[in-house]
Amino acid sequence: MTPAMNNLVMPVGEEGKAKALSGFLARLLELGVVDSMVLPVMTVPGIMTYLMARDPELIREKAEPFAAVMPVNAGSPVARTVSKKPRGRIGALLKPCEVRALVELVKLKQASPDNLLIIGIDCTGTVDRNEYKKAYPDTSHLDLREACKVCLNPSPPDTAFPGINIGHIGLDDEDALLVSLSTGLDPGVAAVVEELGFESDGSLADRRRSAIAALREERDCAHREFFLNSRAEQNGGGIESIARLLAACTGCRNCRVACPVCYCRECIFDGDVFDYETRQLLRRADRKGGIKIPGDTLLYHLTRMNHMSLSCVACGMCQDACPENINLFSLFARVADRTQSLLEYVPGRSQEDALPFTTFREDELEPR
Amino acid sequence: MESSVGFEPKIVAFLCNWCTYTGADLAGVSRIQYPSNVRPIRVMCSGSVDPMYILKALLDGADGVLIGGCHGGDCHYVNGNYKARRRIAVLREVLDELGIGSERVWFRFISASEGALFADTVKEMVDSLKSLGPNPTKAMWIT
Repeated sequence: MTPAMNNLVMPVGEEGKAKALSGFLARLLELGVVDSMVLPVMTVPGIMTYLMARDPELIREKAEPFAAVMPVNAGSPVARTVSKKPRGRIGALLKPCEVRALVELVKLKQASPDNLLIIGIDCTGTVDRNEYKKAYPDTSHLDLREACKVCLNPSPPDTAFPGINIGHIGLDDEDALLVSLSTGLDPGVAAVVEELGFESDGSLADRRRSAIAALREERDCAHREFFLNSRAEQNGGGIESIARLLAACTGCRNCRVACPVCYCRECIFDGDVFDYETRQLLRRADRKGGIKIPGDTLLYHLTRMNHMSLSCVACGMCQDACPENINLFSLFARVADRTQSLLEYVPGRSQEDALPFTTFREDELEPR
Repeated sequence: MESSVGFEPKIVAFLCNWCTYTGADLAGVSRIQYPSNVRPIRVMCSGSVDPMYILKALLDGADGVLIGGCHGGDCHYVNGNYKARRRIAVLREVLDELGIGSERVWFRFISASEGALFADTVKEMVDSLKSLGPNPTKAMWIT
């Protein structure tokens, strides 16, 4: 059930939507709603990062809330800003897949939701960060990332956090942005926002909703086709085919670092289990004639799929991080789609849905 | 694929201390004959078997992996077997989606008093693995 949202309209002046939204975020910081605001900024031309701002002027000057590029999935660094139950509140402007990753991290007890004010923002897709850097400032012709082309969640989930959502899908020709306050929002925060004098309006919200539905429908076809192609690409199936697809893996673990929901503080692959004695390696090599080193790369990817696919938000950062350009997104997205539908789990939807591995039903999954 | 004639599958079995391992022990003390293809590893609970260990066995050339836990409601740790069931179901989805196939992974609830069931399960699994043939990972070194 979608909770009723209080929909407000933020007027946009001549300076444009980015400045209007930056001004709104700076205002929230100025009025003490948050102690700091995390948001995307450009460090040097063409390179984006996230800034944890304390100075509202820095936000007004530097914020790039609509830049179609994603340096990291900020769900995980934002979680880390509040992992130690701080006092005070951190605000963060996050894309839908970042919000969803953060929900998973909250459920994994790696972020304290009480110390967050999440401002979700619609996202119609991002482009490859390296292409963006090369093409900057003329970036409008760039193709969306593979993950974004098939993304079915262009809007942040309403049920994820008692926060604020910024809507702009379907409102391109309006001089306005939609500001939706969720019902559970801290009344103190809501009061401050309401005092900014935005008018209440349902018609923009309706237009946005139907534009999102249309976009999802379009993407749904692309999504299905993408999965079919990826399966076909695997060409014959069998363990050999998957080993072939992952053959270039050097074991750098960049995909794990980039993954916002690969949640272990210390990965088993960095531990003693994989710190083999020479004799163990020799014994294995003896059995197979030889072993690849660095080894266990196939085991690593398959294990990661088992550990994190239920929480996979399909952001595709694993693929962006791969120095060998392995098509990780399609493999992980396909697997995640299967495991999530098996246990009827939608990652990032709500903090109320229990993580599937922490719970069970007595009458399920039979025969084993 | 290698012919299954003369092929003796190797099964790595993760058996729960409280039920299936004791069941296997009962099969032994009852002198029930069953194939010697199984290499048991005693674990405290089927819920403690991370899919990583199952995958490791499969990628290192084990022909099958058997996980044995207590029957529903009997888990010594209240619900580890139910959690194992979820984990293994997810493992199956991963293996099936990637075309690796999950038929080499067996998860069975076998209690401490079911020595005969343990022996029958091993027999059944050996037959099934013989018809599947050797695990192709035996000869693969790029795992």
